[in-house]
Amino acid sequence: MLERLDRDVAVIGGGPAGLAAARAAASAGARVLVVEREERLGGILKQCVHEGFGLERFGEALAGPEYAAREAESALAAGAEARPGSFVARASREGGLFLLRCLRRGGAYELRARALVLATGCRERTDRQVLVQGDRPAGVLTAGLAQYLVNVQGLLPARRAVILGSGDIGLIMARRLTLEGAEVEGVYEIKAEPSGLSRNVRQCLEDFGIPLRLSTTVTAVHGKGRVAGVTLASVDQRGAPIRGSEREVECDGLVLSVGLIPENELAASLGLELDGLTRGPRADQSGACLAEGLYCCGNALHVNDLADYVSESGEAAGRAAAAYARGGPARRELLPVKAGSGVLYAVPQFLDLAAAGRGQVEAGARIYFRSNATLREGARLVLKAEGSGEVLLERSYRALRPPEMERVELELGRVPEGASALCLEISRKERGDGRD
Amino acid sequence: MRLGSLRAGLRKRAGAGAEVEAREWRGSVVLEGRARDWRSKVELGWYAAGFGYKGVVNDLEVEGLAPERPEAPGRPAGASLEGESFDVAVVGGGVVGCAIARELARWKVSVILLEKECDVAVHTSSRNDGMIHDGFAAKPGTLKARYNVEGNRLWGPLARELGIEFSRPGSLVLYDSRAAAALYPVMAARAAENRVEGWEFWGRGRVRAEEPGAPDSQRGGFFLPSAGVLSPYRATVALAECAAANGVRVSLETAVLGFDTEDARITRVRTNRGAFRAGAVVNAAGNWADHVAGYANDRFFSLHQRRGVDLVLDSRAGALQRHILAMPDLFQLHAKTKGGGLVVTTEGNVLVGPTAAEAPGREDYATSQAEMRELERHFRVNKLLSPSMVITYFAGVRPCTYEEDFVVERSDYVRNLVHAAGIQSPGLASAPAIAADVARSAIGILAERARVEPNPSFRAGRRAPVDPRRLSWEERAELVERRPDCGRIVCRCEEVSEGEVRDALRGLVPAASLDAVKRRTRAGAGRCHGGFCTPRVMEIIADEAGIPLPEVTKKGPGSPVALGRTKEAGRA
Repeated sequence: MLERLDRDVAVIGGGPAGLAAARAAASAGARVLVVEREERLGGILKQCVHEGFGLERFGEALAGPEYAAREAESALAAGAEARPGSFVARASREGGLFLLRCLRRGGAYELRARALVLATGCRERTDRQVLVQGDRPAGVLTAGLAQYLVNVQGLLPARRAVILGSGDIGLIMARRLTLEGAEVEGVYEIKAEPSGLSRNVRQCLEDFGIPLRLSTTVTAVHGKGRVAGVTLASVDQRGAPIRGSEREVECDGLVLSVGLIPENELAASLGLELDGLTRGPRADQSGACLAEGLYCCGNALHVNDLADYVSESGEAAGRAAAAYARGGPARRELLPVKAGSGVLYAVPQFLDLAAAGRGQVEAGARIYFRSNATLREGARLVLKAEGSGEVLLERSYRALRPPEMERVELELGRVPEGASALCLEISRKERGDGRD
Repeated sequence: MRLGSLRAGLRKRAGAGAEVEAREWRGSVVLEGRARDWRSKVELGWYAAGFGYKGVVNDLEVEGLAPERPEAPGRPAGASLEGESFDVAVVGGGVVGCAIARELARWKVSVILLEKECDVAVHTSSRNDGMIHDGFAAKPGTLKARYNVEGNRLWGPLARELGIEFSRPGSLVLYDSRAAAALYPVMAARAAENRVEGWEFWGRGRVRAEEPGAPDSQRGGFFLPSAGVLSPYRATVALAECAAANGVRVSLETAVLGFDTEDARITRVRTNRGAFRAGAVVNAAGNWADHVAGYANDRFFSLHQRRGVDLVLDSRAGALQRHILAMPDLFQLHAKTKGGGLVVTTEGNVLVGPTAAEAPGREDYATSQAEMRELERHFRVNKLLSPSMVITYFAGVRPCTYEEDFVVERSDYVRNLVHAAGIQSPGLASAPAIAADVARSAIGILAERARVEPNPSFRAGRRAPVDPRRLSWEERAELVERRPDCGRIVCRCEEVSEGEVRDALRGLVPAASLDAVKRRTRAGAGRCHGGFCTPRVMEIIADEAGIPLPEVTKKGPGSPVALGRTKEAGRA
């Protein structure tokens, strides 16, 4: 017999985003079920045994599994239910409800829910998605896969590894592999500066004497059965390998940390259009997508660099999903948020000005953004209302770097009547502009 | 006369510093000496092929390029073949060898299939775009043309018997020149000659309606409805499993080292698992078929290698294209290849390619940046596709004779040897037809000495593995109740369950590595390309095989995924 379940809110994904969403929704009185494909809750945090999670959220540095366990406990304590080991084979709409067709060991089931929260996280870009050439030997793997092998399975994926890409997981894995007895020949980054957090460059590479070579990439991998080496090349300003700069390095593993891609195949199957820059669905400040009853949060919405921000976005989505599930559709008043000059992207892409009246948002809306260039000498952010040109918010930073996401909070009441859009702009701080 | 003018022509073309000699041998011609470079060697081979000899044996040396030898095989675990005896030995576990073995199983004969790798379909048979060509492009009068058209017809019923997916989306060859319409009579004549049926000319509007992504520059095209597509590696595995189910012994990690001959017959086949007696031998050794022929002193042809690289697009691309698409350059009509295009696979990926370039390296699958650039031009053929959809790419090597045709025949000099060699494109499409002919020849050889009876218990089908994606939701729910492990999804991109992986590991031709599991189930073939499922599949392999995790390999001996346990495997 096919099992049939009905809930107010269905959450797909039991990582930090989904757990926070589940807790928030359950706390608001909604009946919530988290569908998680792995056997245990916690998402990728389960394999992140290093410390440093939760500084913002808990005010202390936790290991990934500790952070995940806290989130899971509090979601369940709030009354949310979870079904690990479940895979959503199809998501669709049926009448006014979402219908999830789920598989798990020993049984398939159907879950119907009024509101659906997508907390599906992200995947890693692979070697061939950054055009590394060569054959396909064993020993080429993404940093997250290497992390799973080492931290969960107790396996050593390489004895002498080259790491391509200085994303945070790559930096963390450089340290982990070193601690586990492997040699990390070097970390190579195609860009002129590291992609990961500055603190990770210090703590994972510098403290261990692992060289970081910028403006350098791996163009080819050698070896048939197992990796025997790689070809490195210096790159020009556009990232193209410079002819004649190629050199070969012996190694038995190539670990890649070359970017994360939000996993939004389910979102796309539900007809959501994805933002070309974030590769997540476009959403308002509570993660509400343009389709009614559908919410997205965490790394599925855009790639975050702190788990704390992921939890925060999950909470907003869970709260809004519960309100929708219990109160039905509400009038929305969407105002576009644009990424202006100097801004790589801004999330959310809309503010729902009517949300304040529904009490879904605390005092205001959080806007997350990344600068599109490194500004070491200081930077200034302004948030303007288009139409009136009024400056709603101004902030100065000592430095801004694309890998480090920032966020500001805006009281919705400050948005002037008649504004056609909001626009974020970043400029280099002028000399003598002493505010900070 | 003929040899004289060939020699003169060779000398003229060989260039300074080269020394090229030609001699006749059993109706073939052998080129010896030294060529300027590899390219020149191949061109001289092609040139010699124009002189009407049975074959061209191209033994020209090229400085800095040692003649390739098959890798010395290790001592595999498992059964020895020493002292055994088989009616037929088929050398090569590609699609051709596996199809031949299955055809042989229709007779009451003992058959062994020898494959040097740890799985079937490791080389050319898994490194192509899965297209079942219509047969239009083959040169009329060649074996290619004949077997292609026959094979294309046979694949429909064969795929049904084997329980593999096969569809005929048809091939749409677009032109961006007004002059294309003038080709109509040429096309009509070619189609008639090759017996390709059902083709049509589609005007610009029809093309636009049928293929929304077709470029604005198109001026109509030729539609060939019989062109099909299947998974070449699944098809090969299915053929091997069907053969095995009918009693064929599939011996993996078994490399032929030589033949003992006596009185113009092969008496014993020497392998790394020992030597055994064989009544007849079939040479379906792919890129090494000329070597294998040489073991019987019957090397009357040489193979040169034509590389092909394909890009694999994310499976969401499949919804953006309905037919197999190509837009050839009109000036390319006489090239040795069809120029590549865009093929939607049965799994919904789009394959972009293949390239076609002569290059040494029978098993050299390393791709290059230049090949990526070359493939980019195909994106113009469907404006809905983009290079950002590339999830991976692969190289394959086509074994080509200098005559650029298949060699499918009984040896003229070795009385119990049949060749199925030089099976380049469209080899996959042709395989069922080649197999029927080769099996008939092999049975004919046996029949010369003793009566051969049909095998009354032959079953053309096989127990196809469960493929839950082809089930309705209700059927799938039932399956999961029956097979609980089919509910645990281990590969999220391709939705592959633990149950399917276990089936692959327990099959008649069992998978033993990550790649072998991937070929059978598609686990790891999706957009994250194994990032998520690799550890899970490793655990299932270790569990089924009863081995520790560090012994799990990507593609057989010498390719361990991990180099040991943490702490103990690093620098001591």
